[in-house]
Amino acid sequence: MQRPVSSLSLSPGVKMKLVNAGFQFTADLLHLKPLQLSKETSLTQQEALEVLQAVRREEGGGGGGGGGGGGAGAPPSLTALELLQKEEEMRSIVTFSSRLDAALGGGLPVGKTTEICGAPGVGKTQLCLQLAVDVQVPQCFGGLGGQAVYVDTEGSFLLQRVVDIAAAAVHHCSLLVEDDEQRVAMETFTVETILSNIFLVRCHDYVELLAEVHLLPDFLSEHPRVRLLAIDSVAFPFRLHFDDLSQRTRLLNGLAQRLIAMATGHGIAVAMTNQMTTRLSGGQSQLVPALGESWGHAPTIRLLLHWAGSRRMAAIFKSPDHRGATVQYQITSEGFRDVDQSEQPPSKRPRTQTVESSGSQRDASC
Amino acid sequence: MVVLREGMCPGLDEALVRDLRAADIKTVEDVVSSDIEELAQRCSVSYKALFAIRRVLLAQHTAFPVSGADLYEELLSSTAILSTGNPSLDKLLDSGLYTGEITELSGGPGSGKSQVCFGVAVHISYQLKQSVIFLDTTGGLTASRLLQMLQAETSSTEEQASIGGGSVKAVIVDSVSAVISPLLGGKQNEGMSLMIQVAGVLKTLAKDFNVAALVTNHVTRSGSGEVQPGLGVSWSPIPRTRILLERVERAAPASHSSLRSATLIKSSRQPCYRKEEFDLQWWSCSKEASAGKRKLDETDS
Repeated sequence: MQRPVSSLSLSPGVKMKLVNAGFQFTADLLHLKPLQLSKETSLTQQEALEVLQAVRREEGGGGGGGGGGGGAGAPPSLTALELLQKEEEMRSIVTFSSRLDAALGGGLPVGKTTEICGAPGVGKTQLCLQLAVDVQVPQCFGGLGGQAVYVDTEGSFLLQRVVDIAAAAVHHCSLLVEDDEQRVAMETFTVETILSNIFLVRCHDYVELLAEVHLLPDFLSEHPRVRLLAIDSVAFPFRLHFDDLSQRTRLLNGLAQRLIAMATGHGIAVAMTNQMTTRLSGGQSQLVPALGESWGHAPTIRLLLHWAGSRRMAAIFKSPDHRGATVQYQITSEGFRDVDQSEQPPSKRPRTQTVESSGSQRDASC
Repeated sequence: MVVLREGMCPGLDEALVRDLRAADIKTVEDVVSSDIEELAQRCSVSYKALFAIRRVLLAQHTAFPVSGADLYEELLSSTAILSTGNPSLDKLLDSGLYTGEITELSGGPGSGKSQVCFGVAVHISYQLKQSVIFLDTTGGLTASRLLQMLQAETSSTEEQASIGGGSVKAVIVDSVSAVISPLLGGKQNEGMSLMIQVAGVLKTLAKDFNVAALVTNHVTRSGSGEVQPGLGVSWSPIPRTRILLERVERAAPASHSSLRSATLIKSSRQPCYRKEEFDLQWWSCSKEASAGKRKLDETDS
């Protein structure tokens, strides 16, 4: 099958000039010099050179790659067995809530995009902060030993809270030290190093967010130790002053594809938070994740954090890998933790009490 | 529009191509549609040579009609029906996926499109012993899930390892809308043409190589609030058969049920709007082997 010229990655004007001059397939372009091409198609010399380079790249890649590889535009193919071996090497980011980790099969998976949606105050930012610390747990303790990029659009990144969570994590790991390797690792796992391994970016509107996501692949290539990208939140900049909803859908879909490409290409876990909105259907109202129906397809895994009375629950709403499950969690001064019925953890009592009353109010209104 | 080049047919050498170019004849269409006598005079080439060239070019570039009987015979001998492995889906699809055609699965998030694709891929590669090409644009393909489904079909590892070989019989694209929908709409004018190109390539692939093409699509809400498949009206004639997947809302909406319902919304062989329900847990309805995803102790609710 011959490859049509219109499938090359060139600008539309160049493609139109090529087609108008009668060049339909890349095979037609192979034996031409740039000067000839520019004369026949009224392209500039520079454009003609680019076109020929693109064609030669595709042909060279296709011919040399054989069965396994592909052209410059197509990614290489893997068999399912190779994919399985690759996956077994990739670990997950623990959330320090063992029940949630069990439901997710080890933790937040690396190489996939996860969306965390929930009503205000349920703990989305807390989970993101916890993940940014957890990704740095050294490998001998079962973590990834990686760095984190935190994109903050709401201004909810509180440094003091991160210090608390980091101190708790360091304390937790220091209690687990068994051998020399772990002792050595603990020397580099301190609150200061944890803070220095989180790259914080503050975006004020959707243009800055999109620009940041555009620039991230280069950043990730320069910092190969990054294993987590947390965006808190994706919904906030896209819900302010957005009149053209179809443009918003397009931008979001493009953003989603770029995030997926980063997750699989650079081997990082992407965590995004989303807000909730009310949908009226047939006279009944329902709380659904914001940003529309088509955004629901964008993340691979969807975690729904919600209230059940005064308890905080995390539900896996959508995942190709895991069965739907709901677990209970709590937010303590140490961060995101399991609810343990046997012992009394040092939970933030005042918070749960005030939340209890507002929780029941919420139940009445929803 | 095919550009004239030397060596395309006997008699078309470089000198002749240059002369024709000088007379503003650049493509095969120009040669075929111009007046041979006048052209022979303008380019100072013999009429006979030009006539012969025109005949060869016409023979090379026309489409030949095929009789209906021959087409039917060819279809009978080359089309295969691939069962999806799930009896309810097979009932909707008139016993399975037909090679040479595109079948589309659409549904909202979490409705089970990727799971159905995995199930079909595992079934075809294990039961039917054929190869499958899986194009994943969403990042949702996890080999461990495929392994889980495979382990539900057979518990012996030797059988698992011996799968393979056989020609490619299915191409599964999950999903086609994830990469095309950002290009549609607004001031972009490339998106529509790229979408139709993809459709053309898939159709040609399906027909020429006798494979069944299965694609997934997202859903949007129409003006009246109904759920409909995405990618618009231009995409709707491309797949031959279309199925809409939905979650089944039973009495307890908070529970995580694995029941899904499939509705046939377009088919050239069956009456439409028939609904079938199936359980994602038991793909081939073999209840002894629990094909479910990881079992958890439900801690609450």
